[in-house]
Amino acid sequence: MLSRQRAAQLVILVVLVGVVLATAEDRKEYRFKVRKGASISVVNQYGPISVKAGARKQVLVTAILRSDKVEIDQGQSGSRITLLSHLLPGADATSGQVEYQIVVPTDASVTLRSTTGPLHVEKLHGDVILESNTANVDLRDLANGHVHVKTLNGLVTLTNIVDGHVEITSLGGDVMLNAVSGPLVEVNSSSGKINYDGDFGGEGEYSLTSHTGDIEATAPGDASIDVTARSEQGKVISDFSLQPKHTSFPMRAGSAFAGTMGKAASSVRLFSFSGKIHLKKRQTN
Amino acid sequence: MTCAEFEQVLPDASEGNREFEYEQHLRSCSACRSLVADLNAISQQARDLPDCGDPSPRVWNSIEIALTREGIIRPSSRGELASVHRFPTRWRSAWLLPAAAALLVTAGVVRYERGTGPSVMPNAPDATAQVASMRPEQSPDDRQLIESVALRMPAMKASYEANLQDVNSYIRDAEQSVKNNPNDEAAQQYLSNAYEQREMVYEMAEERSLP
Repeated sequence: MLSRQRAAQLVILVVLVGVVLATAEDRKEYRFKVRKGASISVVNQYGPISVKAGARKQVLVTAILRSDKVEIDQGQSGSRITLLSHLLPGADATSGQVEYQIVVPTDASVTLRSTTGPLHVEKLHGDVILESNTANVDLRDLANGHVHVKTLNGLVTLTNIVDGHVEITSLGGDVMLNAVSGPLVEVNSSSGKINYDGDFGGEGEYSLTSHTGDIEATAPGDASIDVTARSEQGKVISDFSLQPKHTSFPMRAGSAFAGTMGKAASSVRLFSFSGKIHLKKRQTN
Repeated sequence: MTCAEFEQVLPDASEGNREFEYEQHLRSCSACRSLVADLNAISQQARDLPDCGDPSPRVWNSIEIALTREGIIRPSSRGELASVHRFPTRWRSAWLLPAAAALLVTAGVVRYERGTGPSVMPNAPDATAQVASMRPEQSPDDRQLIESVALRMPAMKASYEANLQDVNSYIRDAEQSVKNNPNDEAAQQYLSNAYEQREMVYEMAEERSLP
């Protein structure tokens, strides 16, 4: 009998603790009316930010605050929305966390800054500017806009980004590009790896450069590219048979290759100071 | 908010009362960001100085006379001093070490005039010379940045030190490459990219000053 009572007390205690913990979080919702070409800026040091297209002429924000050590400063000036997670004294990476879920018009431009993230944006046609310290960045299904990503050590993944200007600067984080094409695709990495899997389409300029990170680019057998690849100290490999072209630098076998394929519609430069470069041919089934 | 308004609310903000406009201005104004960083550095170094004991009453009398003469304080009807300009307790405590504060300000001015400037953002040619001459040690700009990060975001200090080490290594390799092949487009691209990376580290360190 005593052990049953003790067990019942423990269950009640656990339930009470759970209720307390659940109610410690604070959920806030905001709705902003905007016109065409709205811009949304979010600064959130700790916690994820997710932005999706879906609303017309309004911006819907759901923010879940982990504790009372953080508050949200929000403002609107016309169609310009700003959200700032304001850390109060005593806040840390756990208590200062805020999770943002934001729905915006398709043509909205978005600027996100976070230390820990992760950051996620999808289905927008406006400009997307992301800055992160260690936050992972995931962008998908974007079109026509300018995409700027700056990260020190976060993993950057871009999927199905078309017809836009893409500029990524990453110090140590890897950069994964899947089906990314457009007039300009530029990745500047230091020690992070660069992995491109696409068609180098859009008659664009593609520049993938790194200091020590390896570069692996996979393209179809019918890609139309003018490609130059060089590594000062690393190995350079191409699976393609290229039409040779004249270069301004001495071509050392195994350290550089240059040539064209098809109509050479797009320019592709793969430069790494000491990383390995591999231009791979995509296997067709 | 203008810079003048920012300086007016700075004492309150230093005690934790930070308004949204304050944060917005701090984000957008590099001069005010630099001011906050300098004040924090002076405050931190003042705290690290050894205790020199309370000054004699004659010192306080002299300070009171000087402040009264300048109109900063005036005697109230109750015989107590009333301040024309209210100084929060924290700033009054900084004045308890007038000699140390003057010394630190002088040291700060000397460092400032040595080319750190209002922003820690380096120009490419100056960064080249500094990195080359300070190899493999950190440059003065790098040290100032790390100190600033350590004050505002202690948990990020090691990460920024590692990032700066990586990017300085990139710059060194790129410089050597340009030196060996001045007309090589790839070498020039490496150097340009390396400086862009360094600029990014500095920019993000400053922007991460947000609470």
